[in-house]
Amino acid sequence: MPSPLEKELTVMLVDNEPARAAIVEQAMIDSGYRVIRRLENAKNLTEAVTEFQPDMVIIDIESPDRDMLENMSRLTKDNPRPIVMFAEEDDSRHVEAAIRAGVSAYVVDGVNSGSVKALLQVAIARFREFQALRLELESVKSQLEDRKLIDKAKGLIMKHQKCDEPAAYQALRKLAMDRSQRMTDVARNIISVMELMGGSK
Amino acid sequence: MSQMETNITQNGAPVRIGFIPLIDCAPFVIAQEKGFFLKEGVNVELSKEASWASIRDKVAFNILDGAHMLASMPIAASLGIGSIKAAMQTSFTVSHNGNGITIGNALYEELKHYAASSLDIRTGVALKKMLNSRSADAAPLRFAVVYPYSSHNYQLRDWLCRAGVDSDKDVQIVVVPPVKMLNSLRQGDIDGYCVGEPWNSLAVEQGVGHMLVTGYEIWGSTPEKVFGVNSAWAEQNQEVHLSIIRALEKACLWVDEPSNQTELLSILSHPDYLNCTLEQLVYGFSAIKPKGQFDWPMEAYQRFSGSVINKPLPSYALWIMAQMYRWQQLGGIRSLNKVAEQVYRQDLYNKALGLPEEGESRDWYLSAEEEATWLDAVAAGKIRLHPDGILTGFDKSVK
Repeated sequence: MPSPLEKELTVMLVDNEPARAAIVEQAMIDSGYRVIRRLENAKNLTEAVTEFQPDMVIIDIESPDRDMLENMSRLTKDNPRPIVMFAEEDDSRHVEAAIRAGVSAYVVDGVNSGSVKALLQVAIARFREFQALRLELESVKSQLEDRKLIDKAKGLIMKHQKCDEPAAYQALRKLAMDRSQRMTDVARNIISVMELMGGSK
Repeated sequence: MSQMETNITQNGAPVRIGFIPLIDCAPFVIAQEKGFFLKEGVNVELSKEASWASIRDKVAFNILDGAHMLASMPIAASLGIGSIKAAMQTSFTVSHNGNGITIGNALYEELKHYAASSLDIRTGVALKKMLNSRSADAAPLRFAVVYPYSSHNYQLRDWLCRAGVDSDKDVQIVVVPPVKMLNSLRQGDIDGYCVGEPWNSLAVEQGVGHMLVTGYEIWGSTPEKVFGVNSAWAEQNQEVHLSIIRALEKACLWVDEPSNQTELLSILSHPDYLNCTLEQLVYGFSAIKPKGQFDWPMEAYQRFSGSVINKPLPSYALWIMAQMYRWQQLGGIRSLNKVAEQVYRQDLYNKALGLPEEGESRDWYLSAEEEATWLDAVAAGKIRLHPDGILTGFDKSVK
């Protein structure tokens, strides 16, 4: 953590994921940094950097607008430069960690490298956290989707075979076992076949 | 193909190859989708990337083993230009050409007042005249390229320079990602751009702008994208690297085969790849161009296959280093021959395809005297690419 006596490091955050940007911004403020600007859309990225002159820009590595910053860093020495340029032998690991976490950063010359590293750590941690949350959400979502598919297939079997729900479930399960397929794949097949035959109407 | 699938090499870990969703990523996509990688016994995982900077960083830090790269990228990375110094190399050129310069309607209409004929617009003569008559406090014209270390940037600057326009003082050059070019032009954020197809043809077709000249017309046939790899990875995985080169070579032939075009476009348009409509892709490959208000043929001459295209040309590395020097990206460098040879590896290309070695006679080598003056001579315009392109070499008799 930076000592309060140090010059306040100003940061610009560029992220089209508003939820993540909010988390990262809060974490940075909590750690004592000043987030001078948060951009969701990088349309005026170069103008914003010129106007606010942040010490550091943190941008999602998957943003196509990174290449704009690459060009800026070339134009004058005052513009932030890609952090990979500062990755000396001994501390290239934190840059690699950042890239893996999906964080890329641009830093102006002469900023205290300890603060840069600390700030990068905050961003990396929040990006990872967000990624974990998203994976969890996706898995819950796909479980829900799976459930819906299976329910639909069961309904079709019940209607077609005139059987009850447990029997339909058993039939589905047996098919999956016999074909060594996932239940959802079997369900999807059944639905498409039935739809083809007009059975789902 | 199924019996081949068991022949997968290196303890199952896939080779990670990055690509940017552009038309010239086609050989990578086809090698994957049509099983050319698999037939060579390599398990490849393609990773769609959002920016050239991301490709560079991920290859430099071994998150990717190799990638679809701008031909200048392995040179810039190996020299540490605009990034950490990270040894990269290429042994396979994926494509030649494909770029064009397009300007917006407003600028085009204005240029008409300064042009005696359409030729004056195409050569930039009208632009020069217009800039001369502009008041000093007028907002500068803005041209976009896709990346600072790219053929697009160098070709645009060369074209401007030949017309007598100072690309640093008389106009402003900014970077805009390819997919955003058309919209930026439409909204007037930029006045023109140099980008790969189909973004030039689409501007013409949609009535947003006018394509003035192709990269092919500026430089002749020159490498555009390469298969660039992390040099340390290449060192440790030579067999795999050679297998990938063989697979890409076959994929390139497949891409250039006209009878495959329908399938090619349908694969490329898939959400995993370019995620666009077939209509958007067709101009990238076909010689048929939309009808615009101009009377000149505009083929970008994008080519993918054959040894004249695929074999790495160290002479092109010499040319690119001189462009970097010319536009103040590179301060100076002593051993041009050595860098060109280490980054553009003809030996591995020959080895992969079972071709004879080049031997000691490297016809592209600069003599000691030439090497000492090369950067300045190219920067001063005393040496140009031969009008037919890099394969014919350089025109060293420019006055």
